[in-house]
Amino acid sequence: MTLLEVDHLTKHFGGLVAVDDLSFSVDEGEIVGLIGPNGSGKTTVFNCIMSTYIASEGEIRFDGEDVTSEKTHGVVNHGLSRVSQESNPINLLSVGGNIKLFMLPNSFLACALPDAVLARRSDGGPGVVDHAERVGLEDKIEETPDSLPHADVRRLEIAKALATDPDMLLLDEPFAGMNQAEIRTLSEQIEQFREDGISMVVVDHNMRGLMQLVDRVVVISSGQKLAEGPPEEIVENQDVQDAYLAGEHGGI
Amino acid sequence: MKGTLRSALLPVWNVLCMLLAPLDRALQPIANVYNRTLGGHFGEMNGLQFAVISLGFAAIATVPFWSPFYSETLNITFAVASIWAIFAMSWDIQSGYTGYISFGHSVLSGAAGYTIGLLILHYDPSMGPATTIPVAVLASLVLGLVIAVPSLRLRGPYFSLITLVGVLLFTNLIFAFSGWTNGELGIHQVDPFTYEPWVRYYYMAIPMLLVALGLIYISRSNVGMVLVTIRENERAVSSAGLDPTKFKISSFVLSSIPMGIGGALLVYYGRAINPTSFVEISNSIEIIAIAVIGGMGSVVGPLFGSFLFFFLEEEFLRDVIGDSSLRTLVLWLFVLSVLVFARNGVFRVIWHGLGAVRGDSE
Amino acid sequence: MLSGLPAVLINAALISALYALIAIGFTMIFGVGGVLNLAHGALLMAGAYVYLLLARDTISVPVFESMTLHPLLAFPLAVVIVAVLSYLLYAVIVQFVEDNPVVTFLATIVVALAATEVVLHYAGSATHTYTLIPDGMLPSTIDIGPVDGILTVDVVGFVVSWISIGLLWVYVTKTDSGRAIRATSMTERGAQLTGVNVHAVRARTWLVAGALAGIGGVFLGASTSATPNMWLHPLSLAFIIVVIGGIGSIKGSIVAAYLIGFLQTGVGEYLGQNFRGILSLVLLVIVLFVLPQGLFGREFDHE
Repeated sequence: MTLLEVDHLTKHFGGLVAVDDLSFSVDEGEIVGLIGPNGSGKTTVFNCIMSTYIASEGEIRFDGEDVTSEKTHGVVNHGLSRVSQESNPINLLSVGGNIKLFMLPNSFLACALPDAVLARRSDGGPGVVDHAERVGLEDKIEETPDSLPHADVRRLEIAKALATDPDMLLLDEPFAGMNQAEIRTLSEQIEQFREDGISMVVVDHNMRGLMQLVDRVVVISSGQKLAEGPPEEIVENQDVQDAYLAGEHGGI
Repeated sequence: MKGTLRSALLPVWNVLCMLLAPLDRALQPIANVYNRTLGGHFGEMNGLQFAVISLGFAAIATVPFWSPFYSETLNITFAVASIWAIFAMSWDIQSGYTGYISFGHSVLSGAAGYTIGLLILHYDPSMGPATTIPVAVLASLVLGLVIAVPSLRLRGPYFSLITLVGVLLFTNLIFAFSGWTNGELGIHQVDPFTYEPWVRYYYMAIPMLLVALGLIYISRSNVGMVLVTIRENERAVSSAGLDPTKFKISSFVLSSIPMGIGGALLVYYGRAINPTSFVEISNSIEIIAIAVIGGMGSVVGPLFGSFLFFFLEEEFLRDVIGDSSLRTLVLWLFVLSVLVFARNGVFRVIWHGLGAVRGDSE
Repeated sequence: MLSGLPAVLINAALISALYALIAIGFTMIFGVGGVLNLAHGALLMAGAYVYLLLARDTISVPVFESMTLHPLLAFPLAVVIVAVLSYLLYAVIVQFVEDNPVVTFLATIVVALAATEVVLHYAGSATHTYTLIPDGMLPSTIDIGPVDGILTVDVVGFVVSWISIGLLWVYVTKTDSGRAIRATSMTERGAQLTGVNVHAVRARTWLVAGALAGIGGVFLGASTSATPNMWLHPLSLAFIIVVIGGIGSIKGSIVAAYLIGFLQTGVGEYLGQNFRGILSLVLLVIVLFVLPQGLFGREFDHE
């Protein structure tokens, strides 16, 4: 069943067209790679899906509902969550506090209730520790984000996104700045998320990290869809290779 | 400049720590009892912090008994400080926490004040506080909603601007309808709660402590966490699936309730309502100044700030300088130096100092 | 007493010229540093009181006691002093807190309150009036067309306002140091990359804005009066004008100053003086919601 549908999405900033009539869809349980050279509009697509930007044209449907003009928090509450390229934890709060923020109900009054009451309401659903465990941060809950190494800060970003209880995760360059071992662990965790029933779109500018992970790849260049298909096919695709050679980043 | 100051004070600090550390350890067991029971709701403390808070609470609770030993007027000063503490704490839970600085909070207390005044003047002069105060608080709540809903769709500085405009508009309206409001002169037909000064103190201090308790609870709950995140990174709140506008509006409306209570108390304290002591922009600025010297974003800080501010203004500086404009000038220069040198407020400096005592000695 | 449409129009034009002087400095400071200088009204007040100090012996302050300079000497001197005060405000306080807009807000408003107390201390709460026009140099009122009895000082203010605006225009478009100010207000990063010393530009902007505030203050005091609370009304006016014109835009401020000047005079004449202020506030609210970037501004978003 189709979960996310991006339908003829166009976004321009003044005269600049960042995303041009792009359509793709993601099925339930699928992991889709969204790749393209730098500046091809991948992050803009995410920004439009999450309503950080307002789409100029086109429609975005999630789980059958039109979320094009929803506010960001509304999109999140529909079950979409994004892990951005930049980490922005709140350093005044502990790691646990940062995760907890993403678990809160969107209600001023409910937030004023003591935690014990909130926990009872959620009927033993996953707690802060459970979300931290999913990314291997369970030992660092009391620490503040600014004392964590880079890879842990990135994990925290994922834990925060998971804490909103999403049906689909949008991962923007999740492997950036990580070493081989860290990439392997993260890939395993991502596999686990899929086992847990979360569909995913993973953005990266090359396919090295994605080959094993994704079921399908959508390649965009200058905001337009260039190719779509299983990873093995995409690697062989001549158009894709040309697009990459034209850009600074030779090789796919 | 700050660095040299710090290194110069370091030896003094070390000696202080040596003296205070044993005391802190001795008090820790008592603090632990509190930490286990209520700490989760109101914040955990170490021994010294607990002692200072308890002493402060005891001092506020017994002002009429010990104040005559200091001065005859201290009682009155602290009654006024209690009212302004309510204002400053209310301002803090909205502006200090969310970072959306309101210049318009005096309008909220003014709405409560003028509601009472107009009721007594034009509706029924015999109306007592039991009926007028609930109506007054409702009036500031409604006005809070009227201001918050449109203005909090605007970003930072524009929001501040709109609230400032709110104050100017309100002031202008009072003068434009002086037939009803008595304009500059204000309304003087209000009977006070009581003429007995020490009883009057408790009429101000008890509501203040209740408001403080309520707001400290809120600020320590998840609401406080969301509001702080709005200040630090509003986008993160959206990504968490929380509607920042809703939380901003709620915090403004929430803060308008105690503003109304404080405004009503001020009416029955001063027996009069006029633009100068209620609405005009200087009132809002004073509220902000109090919150700032105490420490924005902490609720307890503004409470402390109010007592400090009024003690300095009405007691200490009055004794030292006398009743001249120089006194107010010195007071504002003090506020200014807190802003430049300790922008997190005096209370935080003391509090973190107390918290760090043992860390240094062990 | 003036009446009739021509009188209203002339009066509005005169007061608008003053409003423009009041608002330009405020918008310039916001433009280059993102600082909302709430002490701007206090600088205007300083203009009036410094002039009083130099030209009249009604205030007694040590050193300046019973000094009575000729207005033609006292006026430029007052302007220079206010410019220096404005520069000092930046150098001593604002530059240390400008990284935090909230603290800057509060620090500048506290400066304004402290200034009130300084004035109260040295000059008392009394209302001081003074004339700018030396006796015998010009008549105190003149007639323009069908309207008579116009205060000469207002006309002189009008002329001085436009001369100042003209000089400012020459400065920011024809000189390197002025162009640096304009560049910084357009894009600070861009200016930095082309080798502009942003810090020096900010200091210079405060100096220039202070001079304009000084001129505005002297004329404001002359056309109304000098009181310890005279800063609040022009500050809110500057706010209204600058937001309507577009924060940071000098051109916008001038246009909006005339808009507000004509609106206020018209409303005051035909609806009553009590509604003078209200209508411009209402207009401000409408502009904030409908056109938050103002007539000529770009939306500001300092995150």
